[in-house]
Amino acid sequence: MKTIPTFTTKQPTFILLGLFLSLFFFSSELSAQDLLVKGIVKGQTYEETEVLNGANIFLKGTNIGTSSNKKGEFTFPKRLKAGDILEVSYLGFITKRIKIGANSTYLKITLQEDDNQMLGALNSNKRFKSKRNKE
Amino acid sequence: MPKTTLFFLLFYASLCFSQQSDFKHINFTKADRIANTTKTKRLYELNKLTYNLTNNLETDVEKLRAIYVWICNNIANDFRLYTLNERKRNRFEKDSLKLENWNSKFKKTLFKKLLKKKKTICTGYAYLLKEMCKIIGIESYMVNGFARTATVDFSKLTMPNHTWNVVKLNNKWYLCDPTWSTGISFPEEGRFQFIYNDGYFLADPELFFLNHFPADNQFSLLGETAPNFIEYTELPLIYGDAFTTIKEHISPNKMDHILKKNSVFTFQYLLKENQNINKIKFIIDNGASEKTIKPEFHKKNNILTLNHTFKNKGFFDVHLYLENKLIATYTFKITN
Repeated sequence: MKTIPTFTTKQPTFILLGLFLSLFFFSSELSAQDLLVKGIVKGQTYEETEVLNGANIFLKGTNIGTSSNKKGEFTFPKRLKAGDILEVSYLGFITKRIKIGANSTYLKITLQEDDNQMLGALNSNKRFKSKRNKE
Repeated sequence: MPKTTLFFLLFYASLCFSQQSDFKHINFTKADRIANTTKTKRLYELNKLTYNLTNNLETDVEKLRAIYVWICNNIANDFRLYTLNERKRNRFEKDSLKLENWNSKFKKTLFKKLLKKKKTICTGYAYLLKEMCKIIGIESYMVNGFARTATVDFSKLTMPNHTWNVVKLNNKWYLCDPTWSTGISFPEEGRFQFIYNDGYFLADPELFFLNHFPADNQFSLLGETAPNFIEYTELPLIYGDAFTTIKEHISPNKMDHILKKNSVFTFQYLLKENQNINKIKFIIDNGASEKTIKPEFHKKNNILTLNHTFKNKGFFDVHLYLENKLIATYTFKITN
């Protein structure tokens, strides 16, 4: 009968090997916390709420970002960690900051309309002419 | 940012006038080249566009420049939207709820059109500049206010009619007006033409104030010296080309004048550097006919001084042209 060699943990090689393997174990634990974040961006106005095409989604303090598509959907290009902050903005809406939580894999973001008035003065090069009272 | 903080920021910034000449040492050739060669059909990926425009530039002012010039070369003024908005705003002027409602609906149409067709009206330009500044980390605000052109009638103007921006560079605030830098509208023909006017990029606050009165007066960047609204409406009327030609409108400081016959009147301007001005004329319009006058002038240290003697009684519109470009208009009532 063959005896199966048994390993004893006293051997330094195996301790090292164990440590080495545990590195993988922990790092895979870490990478499980890296989140692939997807989501949808909507805009709410006085009248209705609809998806926003071309909203900007940014990781705060970096230039890593993306834009939402026709359906308002986005997939963030970098894996995120809990605690990261995304800034979401769209012309005419108030920028929103979203803190990534441990389970934030799908974000439903609704931006509120800002209250700025839309104005426009024409830049014409027309020369001034005084209004004269006919005497 | 709380309003008070902003006020102090702006106030201190205004202690030293901020203008394009602060960046004389910076050459914008590279930024302009990037702006001129970057193309996009739609604006749905503002991040990417802004990144492409600014990625190879070092300083904030160059980055801003690339964005600004890109906007001015690519975003057209939408004449039809402008007219529609004017009409509705005037109709709902007294009904704030309806006005709000209209504004909200219009805003949506406007931004969709901006992203899809690259067309907008003033506030759209200001929003776009602000948004692109945010992407590259430059602080900026939109400023609503009362802009002045030859056709603006202050007696009828009760609400702000224009939007422009303040941007912060090296801890100082600067003025710019992307809409008016972009080009010129021809209202009668319902047409718009791209003509870049560099004079509204980091404009001199004092000159800028002659046709931009901010609803919130801290945005004049003139601090406590800023005239009030009535005083503003009495300032000389200047045109877009004034911004490319002169640095300061020294005198007169009013548009309308009453003078005795045969008195000499003096006009004075600080010219921009490297301006070689030789052709100087006044076109004087008495309502029925106009005549061209070459005034007596002298130049010293870039200060251009003109003298004219009004010999005839009457009421005149006096238009100043430098190098055949319309600069300013004044009116003169000449009495016995």
